[in-house]
Amino acid sequence: MNVLDVKDVAVKYGDLQALWGISFSVKKGQLVALIGANGAGKTTTLKSICGLVPLAGGEIKHNGSVISGQPVHKVVDLGITLVPEGRQLFSKMTVEENLLVGAYLKRTHSKRAATLKHVYTVFPRLEERRNQTAETLSGGEQQMVAIGRALMQDPQVIMFDEPSLGLAPLMVKEVFNVIQELHRQGLTIFLVEQNVHQTLKVADYCYVMENGRIVGEGTGKQLEADESIREAYLGF
Amino acid sequence: MELLPQALMDGILLGGIYITIAIAFSLTYGVMHIIDFAVGEWIMFGAFAGYYLNKWTGLDPFLLLPFVFLIFALIGYLIQPVIHRVLSGNKGNPLLMGLVFTFGLAIMFQGIALTVFGFYSNSTPSVFSEGSFFIEKFGFFLTISSIRLAGLIYALAITAALHYLLKKTNFGLGVRALALNRDSAGLMGVNGKQTASLVYGLYVGVSAMTGVLIGCILSVSAQMGTEYTIFAFFVVVLAGMGYLAGVPWAALLLGMVQSIFLIYFNPGHTLLAVFAILYIILLISPRGLFGRGV
Ligand SMILES: Nc1ncnc2c1ncn2[C@@H]1O[C@H](COP(=O)(O)OP(=O)(O)OP(=O)(O)O)[C@@H](O)[C@H]1O
Ligand SMILES: [Mg+2]
Repeated sequence: MNVLDVKDVAVKYGDLQALWGISFSVKKGQLVALIGANGAGKTTTLKSICGLVPLAGGEIKHNGSVISGQPVHKVVDLGITLVPEGRQLFSKMTVEENLLVGAYLKRTHSKRAATLKHVYTVFPRLEERRNQTAETLSGGEQQMVAIGRALMQDPQVIMFDEPSLGLAPLMVKEVFNVIQELHRQGLTIFLVEQNVHQTLKVADYCYVMENGRIVGEGTGKQLEADESIREAYLGF
Repeated sequence: MELLPQALMDGILLGGIYITIAIAFSLTYGVMHIIDFAVGEWIMFGAFAGYYLNKWTGLDPFLLLPFVFLIFALIGYLIQPVIHRVLSGNKGNPLLMGLVFTFGLAIMFQGIALTVFGFYSNSTPSVFSEGSFFIEKFGFFLTISSIRLAGLIYALAITAALHYLLKKTNFGLGVRALALNRDSAGLMGVNGKQTASLVYGLYVGVSAMTGVLIGCILSVSAQMGTEYTIFAFFVVVLAGMGYLAGVPWAALLLGMVQSIFLIYFNPGHTLLAVFAILYIILLISPRGLFGRGV
């Protein structure tokens, strides 16, 4: 069963076409990655899945039923969660309030005390800083809040948009550890990254994107073995 | 000198009313990013609603408050999508469009009110209209009219209720999230459109209720709105655009300035003084009294 099916999706920003009919799918329990250079259209792809940008063509299915055209708050209620590029925290709220907004939906609201406790066991550092406003946290801590907030949503699939961006090597390692741990626990994960090396290692399957198109796909090993893809997109 | 305590007391009583106007106004700005120049007209319509409902039913205006709130909140909830549509075109400057559009609304509302209600000025009678308290302490002599005191109690109750709503409820958490980051709030499941409509409804409802009280304390007339629009604007800018916690202090300051001018100087110069103070404070601290606005 595919958790996500993206078929011929096109997106335009005014006159600028950002996606040119891309198709791919994410199977249940898989960790699927999407890599590509700056401006390739990775963020736009994630936004189109969430309903943050309207489609100019194609359709998106979740567990077999069409979700494209639905507003973002309906899509996330289905268990599709995005950890956005640049964290996008609620800067003037405390850490704990940021996490609690994650449990805004009826579906998750009643068990929010328990999920909050769980998030604090995953990120003990956040419990220490629970009453600090999000804007005063370090980049790594902010990323923890962003991931914790996603976990509060009790998601079926988490999509990460460049979670390692701007983090120190040790922190990058921790973020990748957390993602792998979530994967082991059975969560479906769609990971957008520029950190190609690490990503190919952890992903079950990868898509390569350029100029709004999918230009290659395969397992990490296959992509690494493909001379043309390696030279053009992987940079090693 | 012996008039000063009285001036300060009057300022607090007046400022209380401004708090309720400005808090709802500021909240709407935070969520919808519009500066609603029609705020005074909602107050005016509320004042007339109180005046006529009292006339027809004989009920005390204070008892009419919940009813006025519900009607106006519904009106606000229903017209918010229209305002949103006008402002959400992706061309031009939405903030400027908002100013122009709501300014137009204000003029239209005033025109309608003048046509329907005429130029007369009235006031709405309440059981609290007559009495007053006298306090004598430390050689000072204070007079507090019961209607103004009732107005202050109303203002405190509304402020506390809004505070509770925003800080202690899930809905309030969603509203604050929406004001801070629209896309992220959507990703957390907050229905942006509906929440904005509810906030606008809340704001129109609270403004209209405050209008009922102003109709009791001061007066009701078709041209009364502009003054309150200016005051709401003053308070919100002084507090720092979008900084809710600063609103009560800025509102109290406005009340004080007004009552001091009324007692010591020429009341006709009050607006001049209000704006002189606004300019001076903004020159020193462009982001409001507390430097926390946007
Ligand atoms: N809101 C927008 N309005 C107009 N153009 C946009 C908008 N968002 C993105 N674009 C354009 O769409 C293209 C794809 O952008 P997108 O953000 O999806 O790329 P990306 O792969 O995520 O890049 P990066 O790795 O830098 O995050 C770019 O050319 C970008 O300039
Ligand atoms: Mg991006």
